[in-house]
Amino acid sequence: MAAVANVPLVKVSINDVEIEVPKGELIVESVKRLGLEIPIFCYHPRMKPVGMCRMCLVEVGFKQQDGSVRKMPKPQAGCTLPASEGMVVYTDTEPIHADRRGVLEFLLINHPLDCPICDRGGECPLQNNTMAYGPSTSRFIELKRHLPKAFPLSTYVTLDLERCIQCGRCVRFTEEISGDHDLAFRFRGADMQPSTFQLTDFESKFSGNVIEICPVGALTSAKYRFRARPWDLETTPSVCTVCSNGCNVWFDHRAGKFVRINGRANEAVNEEWTCDKGKFGHEHYNAADRPTQPLVRQGDGFAPTSWSGAYDPVLAAFAEGGDRVAALVGPRVSNEALFLLRRLFERAFKSARVSSNWRRTPGSGSVQGTIADVESGGPVLVFGTSLADDLPIVHLRLRKGATNAGARVVNAFSRPTEVDRFAAVSLHYRPGSELALARGLHGLLAGTGATAEAVEAETGVPADRLREAVEVLKEGGTALSSQGLYDLSDGPQIVEALAGIARATGGRSECWATGANEQGAIELGLAGEGATATLQACAEGRVKALWLVAADPFALHPDRALVERALETVEFLVVQSPVGSEALAYASVVLPTALPAEQDGTYTNCERRVQRVQPAVPPPGDGKPDWRVFSECLLRALPETPLFNPREVMEAIAAEVPAFAGCRYEALGPEGTVLGGNLLDTPDEPAMVGGQA
Amino acid sequence: MSELIQIGAARPKAPQPQDLTLRWSERAVEELEALKGHYPDLKSLILPALWISQREYGGHLPPEGIAEVAARLQRTYAEIEGVATFYSMYNTAHAPGRHMIEVCTCLSCHMCGAYRLADILEEKLGVKMGETTEDGVFTLHEVECLDACDRAPVIQVGPDYLDPQATLQDEGGEAKMRAWVDRLIDDLRSRPEPSSVRLADTVVQVHVRATER
Repeated sequence: MAAVANVPLVKVSINDVEIEVPKGELIVESVKRLGLEIPIFCYHPRMKPVGMCRMCLVEVGFKQQDGSVRKMPKPQAGCTLPASEGMVVYTDTEPIHADRRGVLEFLLINHPLDCPICDRGGECPLQNNTMAYGPSTSRFIELKRHLPKAFPLSTYVTLDLERCIQCGRCVRFTEEISGDHDLAFRFRGADMQPSTFQLTDFESKFSGNVIEICPVGALTSAKYRFRARPWDLETTPSVCTVCSNGCNVWFDHRAGKFVRINGRANEAVNEEWTCDKGKFGHEHYNAADRPTQPLVRQGDGFAPTSWSGAYDPVLAAFAEGGDRVAALVGPRVSNEALFLLRRLFERAFKSARVSSNWRRTPGSGSVQGTIADVESGGPVLVFGTSLADDLPIVHLRLRKGATNAGARVVNAFSRPTEVDRFAAVSLHYRPGSELALARGLHGLLAGTGATAEAVEAETGVPADRLREAVEVLKEGGTALSSQGLYDLSDGPQIVEALAGIARATGGRSECWATGANEQGAIELGLAGEGATATLQACAEGRVKALWLVAADPFALHPDRALVERALETVEFLVVQSPVGSEALAYASVVLPTALPAEQDGTYTNCERRVQRVQPAVPPPGDGKPDWRVFSECLLRALPETPLFNPREVMEAIAAEVPAFAGCRYEALGPEGTVLGGNLLDTPDEPAMVGGQA
Repeated sequence: MSELIQIGAARPKAPQPQDLTLRWSERAVEELEALKGHYPDLKSLILPALWISQREYGGHLPPEGIAEVAARLQRTYAEIEGVATFYSMYNTAHAPGRHMIEVCTCLSCHMCGAYRLADILEEKLGVKMGETTEDGVFTLHEVECLDACDRAPVIQVGPDYLDPQATLQDEGGEAKMRAWVDRLIDDLRSRPEPSSVRLADTVVQVHVRATER
């Protein structure tokens, strides 16, 4: 972790092997360079070491002039010991084995050893360390302490106090990483318990992470509780598609059914964290009302049919439709499917009416930096977005930048948000005055004669605060917002004003997408006329056939009356959906498709990073991947060879869409690849962003 | 934590800071403002602020008193509660009686008859260690070393150290202790001001500079 170029190297000897490590690196990290491991509980590479559990004890000494090693009389905790020149470390000696046995014996005094009924059993560091280093039998014959079991700390997190070994990882996570400090150690000694204030709800938006970092079964997931044993699970590396951050996750499944989500390390995106929306937002994979076979309208109901039986009426209704046929795409459709959909509409239906933009006003945002750039330490203006809700991982990055790199943050939102906790200045404006505030800040920063008092009158933000904000931002302030701004009636003007702020300060202008592949649709040129315009055309009878691709307009569009009118008026409605939705009731044809983790495809996240998702579980019933549906329609509609696997589709995208130039599956490294720069530089070599973790 | 536990049941939410009823007196707020100048950040103020809160809430630190400190220092509730429940001199568990009698039972006091003194107190007050008398006047506690071995066996009531000026080994020592306990109880009964509030105030005054009082 500390491998920075300007840190001097020091020679240390670990188990009589000499290696060079950066000065000050913790011994627990240094031994990993030799492929060794020190058992740990409380130490976590992303949090400050505390030395609470004493599991990582090592023998430390220094070489004497006569060549002998003089050991310190007592063992040292490897997790708090920085490497220094000439240090001699032993991790595998008889006294250390005895120390580890002793530490584990103490830890197990108060541990119930109920592994057979514990969700953690099978993947539990305490279990593993006890098997590897602990005593084989217990000498403890006294009564164990008894505390509440399975206490619901929140809807998601269950606390079992008997199992807690008081390592403090969860408490430190809320203090150092998520920043909400919702958990603390209450009481002391054997009564010490990690919990919330008066056992109230654990409200953190990142609470799921404490389940993963708990080294015992004290914090378990209420959703995963007793659903599987770890050794029954299969796991597939995947990418979360709940929001636009594109967090890398492990998709755990059992017998073809989704079970749980765990964070997967990607230094460029989510490090290893997940948000609660992502971690607990995949239950719809197992929903009972998912369509399982193609259906065609028959009177008031549906008749099941084959895929070709469904394609025939669809192609008949859309063929050569021109402007009178349209498609609306949801935010979670892969690049490949989007591209084939556009090709199907352009070539077979002669229509350009494919739209993925569900915002109120048109706009394509702005991406100039990466997620990792957010923590670089420069001043940041967060504007008009609740970052922890819209871009949760960006929120964690920004907080890290503010606490570790000293970034000064100005948070502008109409109500208090989590960002206020670490922001240098908070601007709470009157709802609806976003444009006035953005233009006012721009005026103050650009020195165009605007006065803070005038902005105060328009927005309700005190003039002094505005002046403080300008002070913070004037040197390289980056404007960070989400494309949720386009849901405001004056969205494009606000984004323009924010770009002006970035120009005035010399910082970046970031207006990031919030849907899993919203940015991909923009890059592929599918933003289109916008869902509102299409729905209005449907409602007025100007569009006779509408194709909904993984989009529930009732959930995505705010104007319910318009959606109802549009779906009732349109003559032919194809609902291509992986999940049950209200729109199914209006459908002429229902095409069951796969969810993201059930099909092959790539997704473009908010920083334009293209990441591949591979199928983890099969779709239910006859469900097909979205791209395959369009490919099969193309095969039937046109006398040309269609693209029959997503790899070929990506090659076609790279050839046709300039933004994706050079993008191939082989070129997508383990961390994905950001569109632009490095792909174009090395068109023939596999591009790896950031290299191996 | 003893209530019926249901998996997946929603826990009650902690109150929003703006919904709290702040009960500190003006004097307490002024003291806190003065103390803010003594420390680099608000986190360092947690301990003195908890003492102020314990005084303002009548010698007891209920959850509301902890929440008020959190709100005034802009920290989270959990962080403040973690600190308050760690230290035994913050009365977070239950409200003590008007006078908390703390009997030192460490080595020197033990040698001089602290447990005999404790027995006498228990007998006269009719309560066990850690209990409060029914009229709510006395709470009896056993504590670790009070750092007054020269006065052993010693007890603490609020900020005051008191001792029977007799040990068990003295001639008629136990009788002297009994007589002294009687006098002590009568004396304390006649004092209406809660000694735990007096203790909290004493600690606060140690923190606040003379010019700031």
